[in-house]
Amino acid sequence: MKLNKNHIQTLAFIALYLFAIYFWTQPLQRKLPYGEYDAMSHFEVADYIAYNDKSFMQLPPYIDLRYGLDNRFMPHTLWYPPTFHASLAVAEVFGGDRVIPIFLLNAIMASFILITVYFVINSLFGFLPAILSALLLVFSPRDFMPYLWGQWPERFAYALIPIILYCFYRYFIGYSKENNNPKYLYLSALFLGIIILAHPLAFFHSAAGLLILYVFLALKQKKLAFNLKHALASAAIFLTLFFIFPYQTFNILPQIAGGADESLKQFDLSRIFQWSLDPKDYAGSVPQSYFSFGDMHGLWTLPFLIIGILTLAWRREERDIFMLAWLVSLYLVLHRDIAGKASFLHRSLSASAHIFAPLTAIGAVYLASFIKLPSSFSKWLKYGIAAVFVFLIFSVNMANASKTLNKDTYNDFFSALNGEEYRAAQWSLENIPSSANITILGIPHQEQFQSATSKKIRWFAAVSQHVTRFYYLREDKEELLKSKEWYIMLDYTMLGPLNDKKTFDEMQEFERTKLTNHALVYDKGGIRVYKP
Amino acid sequence: MNFKFKEVYVFSLAAALPIFIFSYALFGITGIRVVLGIIFVSFPFYVLLNRLELAEGEKFVFSALLGLTALPSLAYILGFLIPFRMAIAASFITLISIAVLFVKCKNSRKEN
Repeated sequence: MKLNKNHIQTLAFIALYLFAIYFWTQPLQRKLPYGEYDAMSHFEVADYIAYNDKSFMQLPPYIDLRYGLDNRFMPHTLWYPPTFHASLAVAEVFGGDRVIPIFLLNAIMASFILITVYFVINSLFGFLPAILSALLLVFSPRDFMPYLWGQWPERFAYALIPIILYCFYRYFIGYSKENNNPKYLYLSALFLGIIILAHPLAFFHSAAGLLILYVFLALKQKKLAFNLKHALASAAIFLTLFFIFPYQTFNILPQIAGGADESLKQFDLSRIFQWSLDPKDYAGSVPQSYFSFGDMHGLWTLPFLIIGILTLAWRREERDIFMLAWLVSLYLVLHRDIAGKASFLHRSLSASAHIFAPLTAIGAVYLASFIKLPSSFSKWLKYGIAAVFVFLIFSVNMANASKTLNKDTYNDFFSALNGEEYRAAQWSLENIPSSANITILGIPHQEQFQSATSKKIRWFAAVSQHVTRFYYLREDKEELLKSKEWYIMLDYTMLGPLNDKKTFDEMQEFERTKLTNHALVYDKGGIRVYKP
Repeated sequence: MNFKFKEVYVFSLAAALPIFIFSYALFGITGIRVVLGIIFVSFPFYVLLNRLELAEGEKFVFSALLGLTALPSLAYILGFLIPFRMAIAASFITLISIAVLFVKCKNSRKEN
């Protein structure tokens, strides 16, 4: 077999993608679970399926405690369709480990947008804009930050949007009365059904995208691509998928039916001229930098982005219309607060780079064609600009991204489990009856630590698959000590580094005086577990 | 097996090699097993899409997306009746059977 241009380009993309996986999985080098509360919930669901070797309808108690009412249509069941979590569970089964497979497959699924953007742009505009787009996306904070925070299914769902639009575009372009092969339309319907199983927000985004793309292409080609038979078959494909997990997909309805959001009352006409949102509205939950173009994309990309948009708007070939429809649909989704639907608006902002990156790369690649030069010079100029583009990505975007995403991300003394805690949680899972709960002493519970250490407690619950609570925050301490349902865990691992002799002495005293009717069943690495 | 088909397979194997080496270097045997899992779940859909006259890139991307979503969903549904591990195997067998039937159907239609 001889290597041709396509092979070399594919190998180049594989190299880039492997680098992306390395970059995105740096926190996993510790081989311990990490992330915010959302990450814990997704880990819990996937791990429960794989570890217990079964699907479930009712949430297990340690998940139900927090998420029992998140499904408003059918409380105490999964609040998302299980598609994404079942996929992570399959990875856990194949991987034969509880942490690495889930976090590795999640990184692959969260970064799948690189694959779909590369594939779509390569198909429509060629290799150079495609590989530059993918490289820009590797360091997109609006992608890896929500991935780190734990918005896992949503990250993957966004990767389906370009594919849905691409399939529909192929159908429309190839449509004529004589020759109208519906395979691409059926694929659109199939992926549209899958996206609703992945995340509803991305579904609404793709539905808006399809509508805009249809209108734009119909205007451009002065034709209406509509075949009743195809439309009905596509609807059947979509509805079959929609009804596969009705308890979860119907959970979307109460959300849609919810009243107008607060932001409607404060509607400001100037929003129409703004792309991003007001960081003040999200203070405390999302960092300010998330709303800054410069911090998220790099200010240097702005001229290329504008050139890209203007080039496509001026040229208006079918493939240009595809990109513009994608951009306009994101604009509409981002301004749905005008129609009174402002919930999770900032999450839609996280899809910006998916369209900005290719538009920026297209702008850079087409820039050379604006300068009248002999064709060989023009080609060199194009590659020269691409080289500068790559240099800027590595020197600006990668440097910026590395500050947030590196080996020490979530290597947090207070919020992440340490090795000893992880092993104790694993032991608890294997040895403590599933009906029992665990209460912990030794992990700082005081107000100044609580926002961080609550995460450690939740990670302990996720790994041990048991309801886990701070002992000192319980009001029923005396009853709890008498109960047969509560195991007591004393975690001494944090006290040494904190130099907290007072708590150490208190816990020693607690063991001597309060646990006389309990049996010590685990004593390793500074962690002790007592059985009631 | 025609020349183009053979070429795709040889290239896929060659391209898989750096992926396996990378996965092993970063995550040991677990990494390799996860990659094998992705190939496993995607394979039935690749067989199916291979008969739809799609571009090679389309087949790879679409089958990976379907493999990561449709097969686990089916396994989850079957997981209410049988253990989840068995459900994965049953889903694979079901989907590969559908794919083979589809291919046979297409082939016989072509011959007629």
